[in-house]
Amino acid sequence: MQTVFSIAIDALAYGMVLFVISIGLSVTMGLMRVVNLAHGAFAMIGGYLASYAARDLGLGYAIATLIAVIGTIIIAIPIERFLYRRIYGAPELTQVLMTIGITFCIIGIANFLFGPTLKTIPLPQTLQGSADLGFRSIATHRIFAILCGLVVAGALWFFIERTAFGIKLRAAVDNAAMAAALGVRTEVVYAVSFAVAVGLAALGGVVGAELLPVEPYYALRYMVTFLVVVAVGGAGSIPGALIACLLLGAIDTTGRYLAPEYGEFFFYLAVILIVTIFPRGLAGRLK
Amino acid sequence: MAVSMNDSVTAGLPVRRKFDTGSLIGLVAIIVIGVAGYFLFPNNLALLTRIIAIMLLVLSIDLVTGYCGVATLGHAALFGAGAYGAGIAAVHFGITEPLTMTVVGAIAGALAGLISGIVILRAHGLPQLVLSIAVIHLFHEAANKASAWTGGSDGLAGIAPDALLGMFQFDLWGRTAYIYGLVLLIVVFLGLRVLVRSPFGMLARGAREDPIRISAMGASVKSVLLRMYVISGVVAGIGGALTAISTQVVGLDSLSFTLSAESLVMLVLGGTGSLYGAMIGTVVFMWFEDLVSAANPFHWLTMVGALLIAVVLFAPKGLYGSGAVILGRFKGGRK
Amino acid sequence: MKRLVAAAIAAAVLSSAAYADTIKVGVVGPFSGPFALQGKNFKAGIDAYFAINGNKVGDDEIEVIYRDVPQADPAQSKALAQELVVREGVQYLAGFYFTPDAMAATPLLEQANVPMVIMNAATSAIVTASPYVVRTSFTTWQTSSPIAKVAKDGGVTKVISVVSDYGPGIDAENAFKTAFEKEGGTVVEAIRMPLSTNDFSPIMQRVRDSGAEAIFAFLPSGPTTLGFVKAFNENGLKGAGIKFFGPGDFTQESDLPALGDAGLGLQTTFHYSVSHDSPENKTFVEAAAKAIGNPAELSFPSVGAFDGMYVISKMIEATGGEQDAEKAVEAVKGLSWTSPRGPVTIDPESRHITQNIYLREVVKDADGKYINKEVQTFEKQGDPGLAFVKK
Repeated sequence: MQTVFSIAIDALAYGMVLFVISIGLSVTMGLMRVVNLAHGAFAMIGGYLASYAARDLGLGYAIATLIAVIGTIIIAIPIERFLYRRIYGAPELTQVLMTIGITFCIIGIANFLFGPTLKTIPLPQTLQGSADLGFRSIATHRIFAILCGLVVAGALWFFIERTAFGIKLRAAVDNAAMAAALGVRTEVVYAVSFAVAVGLAALGGVVGAELLPVEPYYALRYMVTFLVVVAVGGAGSIPGALIACLLLGAIDTTGRYLAPEYGEFFFYLAVILIVTIFPRGLAGRLK
Repeated sequence: MAVSMNDSVTAGLPVRRKFDTGSLIGLVAIIVIGVAGYFLFPNNLALLTRIIAIMLLVLSIDLVTGYCGVATLGHAALFGAGAYGAGIAAVHFGITEPLTMTVVGAIAGALAGLISGIVILRAHGLPQLVLSIAVIHLFHEAANKASAWTGGSDGLAGIAPDALLGMFQFDLWGRTAYIYGLVLLIVVFLGLRVLVRSPFGMLARGAREDPIRISAMGASVKSVLLRMYVISGVVAGIGGALTAISTQVVGLDSLSFTLSAESLVMLVLGGTGSLYGAMIGTVVFMWFEDLVSAANPFHWLTMVGALLIAVVLFAPKGLYGSGAVILGRFKGGRK
Repeated sequence: MKRLVAAAIAAAVLSSAAYADTIKVGVVGPFSGPFALQGKNFKAGIDAYFAINGNKVGDDEIEVIYRDVPQADPAQSKALAQELVVREGVQYLAGFYFTPDAMAATPLLEQANVPMVIMNAATSAIVTASPYVVRTSFTTWQTSSPIAKVAKDGGVTKVISVVSDYGPGIDAENAFKTAFEKEGGTVVEAIRMPLSTNDFSPIMQRVRDSGAEAIFAFLPSGPTTLGFVKAFNENGLKGAGIKFFGPGDFTQESDLPALGDAGLGLQTTFHYSVSHDSPENKTFVEAAAKAIGNPAELSFPSVGAFDGMYVISKMIEATGGEQDAEKAVEAVKGLSWTSPRGPVTIDPESRHITQNIYLREVVKDADGKYINKEVQTFEKQGDPGLAFVKK
């Protein structure tokens, strides 16, 4: 019984970290219909900025995170303006080509600027160490990641479903021409959603850094994981992404505990099974 | 989310003649460029052979992606199966005759194509992409596990192919391997020209553009796609066998996500839905990569990234596709 | 046909020897991509060699040509090696971070009359693939075996082995198991986990449930080692007194700042520590740090490359700049010198390097820098893995 609990806690923690990092991608892919393979690159930029602010400038964790999110958005603005705007509505494969190109460039630049070593983001005293749960201990920053995930999920849901902007966004997604005709400035809507997605990526990069350390190849190394999570959840659905992360986290963690040798088999067979049963993702929006 | 492709470049109605002028021009072009490559870069034939092998993989992706609209990031599974098929035949069963090895590779590729096809064709769009990713990882992991057969991550070494036709040794300069590769490419190219212009090829294209109508016509879309997947496996398998024969070693990278993604990038770079696009994309990407990585082995990735971005900005239909459009406009203007 | 080829090669060889004022060395390694750091270290080691010894041997000048293979990719490696030999006319092949890449190039050596100096790839079998292969790095067997004795001497009898599920990981598992059982200990469980594992918490639960007194672990250097060590600490295993053993890939110097205090006290065995205390190493580290730019990036592949260049220079000296692979390799068999890592010898039998293996512990030095402090020396270790190479 203890083992089951133990696995469940690990699964929850891992799933929520995945959620925080991937949810931004779900926004770009599901709501903006851009296959954004550069998502990991933006998460990486966030990680680098936070690491630089906290480690080299000695700023606090909260401030470093804020700098990372805002800094990444500022870096992303010209990229959105000059590159992404050219591929909204383009065929998926063209988007793949463009965003992989952007990823390659960002990797090359990060390698040049920061070097190939691992970068860490020093945690504040309160997030270091582990909390005792009685029958086992769990790292405090994981609890923090779980909370972050819940806050992000809630805020995003509110933003999209309950605010005026969310309504405009959904209108622009469903029918851009019609929305524009009704006076919605779609390019502003898109730019803001893009900024939100990039900001979330950066936040994920920072919060997840304990699990996925920041280094130049980060952008490609975890791309597959992000893509899988979003597809299984159904692009654009926040509850879907949340369920997918928890489910995949559980499968991965259980597989890793019971039969680490076959961990990879477990995970991908499960993915095939889920996608076959739910071809649009667990909570995919119909096109 | 259905995958919509670049508009198909080879316009025009099916021509019943088996060898049309288009094929002839292509054939001549391949031979001229191939022979020119042989004499212009006599010291770089290993790279040219590698380009041919990858070209076969990219052509094979084009069959399912360009012609049938199936999005895949797992196509190296077919290529790797061919490479391991040929390699295992040579190392464990003593089949070292190059032609036989190639046939074994093609069969292994076709089998892998059948398996991946069955899995991947169960979804569309992004979920399909993810299925293909899952497939390539399963193949990769299986090869890693079966290290008694595949050599695991250390690679399958010790492949020693016999002389081709009993006469031509696979030498240090890689001349034999290159010419053999070129011949294979020509054979595959002609075969594919016939295939894509055949009624079956048209059916496949129809399945991409309007699957509902194809079903209404009484054809099974799924069976068309699956058959195409198997054919594509043959092509990729030949490519894999060619690498096994020419490099005499097979590594897990031939079954990797990286190779799958890279070759899809090459296809899109050249232009989907046309055999020329696939071939041009491969040559440009690999030649460019070789050039910049030799010039600066440390920071060349940025240059490749810039190339990809530039292509999207200035040639959104791929190099061949956009080139064909510009040429068409030029011709149209003169008329 | 065969004879024609032989004649052509002979002609090529003669012509290149006649103009051998510049001797080219082709270095294949991961200079970009996820292992760029290791490739950078190759270059730093080579540059350090030139900075200290100059790039001339007699009248001949050494020129190094780099080729990039970002990830293990034998086909690419072979194509590049071939290109280096036939187009660039290199007389020596060197580098090779990954085993399959080295393996792929070995069939070329005899025909091309080129020796190969392995600066990293750590699978025992490579030296048996061709008589022209010499290795100046280490093997996983060589660095993983001595830690078994350390464990036993520390009073540990039950160990759980946790390795990444790929060639070197399996080598490490076998090496440790063989050595530890010889010492009379038991490996209670051997776990192999996929290379792509990021979250190690469930593994740590397995370790805890196994009842082992210590863990033996091997993961490739890089981002995952960080997560592994952190998971070990955060899941309370360190607190529970479970000891941690592994080869030094775990605590390569360039990863230590990222590990921070979490790494303190980790015991690993390895052939080289950047902090090794000797005048040779001091000179080397100074030159290599300058070459790499950021001293924090310096790590073990640099010393393999440095010694590799030393061996190549000895080969050039012995052949007088002529291209003669057999003579070159013969000349360095049994060669002994003092490397930055300590005294080393090229074993004449296997052409692998015999060297000291050190037990190191991660500590903070006087300047607050994290280092691998050498605490015990296992002298003149050969490669125990050779006995297990399938013939």
